[in-house]
This record gives sequence, C-alpha cells and structure tokens, in this order.
Amino acid sequence: MGRPSPPFSVGADRHAEQQAAMLNIKPTWPILVVAVCISLTACKILPTPSGDGGNSAAFNPDKMVEDIWAAKVVPYLQRKAGPFAEVHALAKTDPASAGAKYGNPNKQANSPWTFAVRVEGKIIAANTGSRAATMDIDVDGDGKADARVQIGPAMRGTALRDSLDFIQFNDFTNQIDFAQFGKAFNAYANKTVLSKLPRDALEGRTAKVLGAYTLESGQDLPLVTPAEAEIGPKP
Amino acid sequence: MKLTRRMTLAAFAGMLALGTAAPAYAADLIAIITPSHDNPFFKAEAVGAEAKAKELGYEALVLVHDDDANKQSELIDTAIGRGAKAIILDNAGADATVAAVQKAKDAGVPSFLIDREINANGVAVAQIVSNNYQGAQLGAQEFVKLMGEKGNFVELVGKESDTNAGIRSKGYHDVIDDYPDLKMVAQQSANWSQTEAYAKMESILQANPDIKGVISGNDTMAMGAYAALVAANRKDVIVVGFDGSNDVRDSITAGGIKATVLQPAYAQAQMAVEQANDFIKNKKSPEKEKQLMDCVLINGDNAAKLETFALTN
Repeated sequence: MGRPSPPFSVGADRHAEQQAAMLNIKPTWPILVVAVCISLTACKILPTPSGDGGNSAAFNPDKMVEDIWAAKVVPYLQRKAGPFAEVHALAKTDPASAGAKYGNPNKQANSPWTFAVRVEGKIIAANTGSRAATMDIDVDGDGKADARVQIGPAMRGTALRDSLDFIQFNDFTNQIDFAQFGKAFNAYANKTVLSKLPRDALEGRTAKVLGAYTLESGQDLPLVTPAEAEIGPKP
Repeated sequence: MKLTRRMTLAAFAGMLALGTAAPAYAADLIAIITPSHDNPFFKAEAVGAEAKAKELGYEALVLVHDDDANKQSELIDTAIGRGAKAIILDNAGADATVAAVQKAKDAGVPSFLIDREINANGVAVAQIVSNNYQGAQLGAQEFVKLMGEKGNFVELVGKESDTNAGIRSKGYHDVIDDYPDLKMVAQQSANWSQTEAYAKMESILQANPDIKGVISGNDTMAMGAYAALVAANRKDVIVVGFDGSNDVRDSITAGGIKATVLQPAYAQAQMAVEQANDFIKNKKSPEKEKQLMDCVLINGDNAAKLETFALTN
C-alpha cells in the first residue's frame, strides 16, 4: 500500500494526525495506513439512487410501434379479426376459445382476454364533449348500441398491444416500458387515423373500424380501440 | 487458559452436534422479507406468505427491511446464513436489489419476488408483480371522470426509493396529462405515511384553497389527506387512493374517499410461496419469470366486496 494520492491525502492525513495526536505518538507511515483503513471502514456505503424507475434512455416505444405498425400490426389485425357480433357472442360464452381464435393466447395469467374485431354499422350516439371521445355503433340494425369505439385524442387501455400474439411482457425491462409501449399504439392510431376523422354530426353516419377490445366486467359497452377507422358521409 | 480452551472445544462440539442433528427434525425454512408492517398492505403480504408456508409444512422467518437496501442486503445474508430454502421478497429498490438477489442465488437460495419487480431477468426465479401501471391508469381514469376532466388537483407521491412510487405516478400522468384542463398545483412526496400526508395536505391546502381533487400514490396517504380535508371542512375535495385497504374501503362506503385500486397482495404472496414450494420439491420453475397481476378499480359499486386485499364474489 503506497502513499495516498494528493486529493485524498489531505483529509486522511489530518484525520491520521488527530488520531496520532490523541495517541500521543509521532505519526509514522504504518500508523497512517492503519488510521486510513479505520477511517474507511467507518464510512457507510450508500446505495446509488435508482434513477427514474429503470426507464432506459434508449427505449423508444413510439419508434417501435411506427416500425411494426404497417408491416406487422395491421396485417395481424386484418388476419385475426372477426365481425364484432360473432366475436362478442363467443367471448361471452367461451372467452378462452375466443381469445385463441381472435386474440393472444399467451396473455398474462390473470389479465382479461383481448380480441381483434371489425366493427361495421351505424353510429347511433357520440360523445365528443369528452377528450376521451367515443362513438356508439349499432352493428345488427336493432337500433341499440353494441360497441363503443374510442376516437381520441385521450384513449383508455392497451387493447391493441394486448391483442398481438407476438408481444410479450417478458421481452420488456419492466412494466413502465411495457405500458408506454402499449400507450404508443394508441398515440400512433390517434395521430395517423383518428385525428383525421370528422367530429360533428356523427349520429346516423356509418362507421367501419378495425381494432381490438378487452373483455372487462362492469362495462356499459365493449370499448374498441381502432387501428383503422372510416366514417361515412352525412346521411 | 486450559479450561477455557476445553470449554470452547466442548461448545464447538456441542454446536456441531446440534448442527448435524437439527435438520433431521426441523422443517425447511422460507424467509419472508417485506417493507414495514406498519402499512397493512405489506402486513397482508407477510401474513399471506406465512400462512401458505406453514400450510405446506415450512417454518417461516418473517423479516422487514423498511425500504432500506442496506438492511435488505443484511437480511438476505441472514436468510442465507439460516439455511433458508427460498426467499419471498417484496424488495427495496429495482436496481439496488439485483445484487442482493444475485448473492442469494450464488449461495443456492432461490428468490421469489412479489409486488415490486427488479430491473434484471434471470436472477430471481419468479417476479410476481402487481401491474401498478395498469392499476394507476384505472385510478386515474376514475379520477378524471370524477373531476369532470377539469380543475386543480394535488398529487401525493410515495417513497422515492420504492419503484412503485414512480410507476404509479407515471401511470397517473399517463392518463391525466391527456386532459389539459386538469392542472396539477402541487406534487409532493409524503413517503407512504398517513401522518406525513396529513401535514403536507394541510399546508398545500393553505397555499391552494381552490383545489378540486387529490390523487394519492397509496391508501395510507389518501387517508391522511382526507383527514386533513375533513378538518378543514373540505369534504367536497375528491380523493382517490391506491392499494385497496380496509380503511379506504370503509371511507368509500361512508361517502368519503371516492375510489382506490386493489392490488391482490394476499393472493400474490401465497402464489409466490406455492411457486417456491414447487421449486424446492420438484425443481420446477414457473413458466415465465415475470408474471404481471392486474389490479382492480374499487369504488362505491364494489367496495363492500373488499376484505383484506381480496375481492369476494
């Protein structure tokens, strides 16, 4: 063990001198070394602060979604989606079969099933006063709403992410990354599709939507998040 | 001197005899390490894990780390030293915990994490974590609805060292920040503490009498904030919590706090012990290391069904 480097030695030497003075002996190098070691062991090693919860700087969910949207997400939904009435009928009686057929069979253990769907019908109500705007669609012509479609800009849930069988939570560092990836789907749909939809006099027009919804209890109507959406002209 | 040495030898021999004899009849040990039991949530975890461990024939060593990573590291050493067959851990920091769990793994003691995850895969055998982000989004959506999408609000944040404090706050803002008419006038940490939340709420209220809502990172802070609001005759302020404690359940049914989010603490801890048992006895790891458990919104509609961090049907 050599002489401590200059920036460190000032305080350490003083410390050693004080200790040497207390012991009433002349400071010599071996004692200094011992004193330095004592002063080091007396230090408490504090943990490094853990930053913002582990959200790495390199992680860019918006870019990830943009990269897979046209190449993988939309083709997957087109391939998997069934007509809303058909999907929902099976979802109510046998959610696991519906999930295997229209959704992601490898979903997280206790999370609800999510299904890819096509919703086509007449808009019979719309709530555009809320930032979480929605339109209620009648798919079977009975005059009653069957599904509620989110049209943004604020959107709930992670149905698009959760319907995809090639996305796994274990591929992400933590739930923050996973959640932000989920939200990036909604943001991308809002930016490229929903923000371009008309907002006025929606009642009575037709709507055609490709998207996904999660089977939840206590919902008034199944809440569909679109990946593609068209609204017909005013009647 | 001679006598001392002889006594030491005798004691040593005695220890050896005890050491070799003990495993013949003592049950295998499972260490259960959580934050302080002052918070009923962590107590429910410890109680759930201990009950399941005993049911499966284990002895349980219940310890608390008080959200101190150094103390946690010492407790892991204790568990290793005591020859624990597995560690059930609600950890003290997503980054700080990785080394401690690795240390246990290197010593041949598998860890089963509950509630909070760590920022590493392949170190713990299982990470059964509440989807706090999803839960926070549920709570925030309810909060936004109760607030009518506008007004001034306050956020009480949990203890900074706890990963879930940050996750919940992010989840809240993920939803709330989509509504520009909702304005956060104060954001403070009350360290998960009821008394601290009471004091913070009092001073926040003096500076911002025009608040309409309080969103809190957990239930104990929500209870403290609500008590301060009642004391200031401001029962009109909307309070939303997180955890699903019996205290907040009672407040909801009495028309006080408006909503909370249930994390299945008891069930989660029991599930971790079951997976530990399977690992110890059958050398079987769970199919996926990270297992997310969804949270459930609790409001006036279902509060009556809530009991000790579990919903009855």
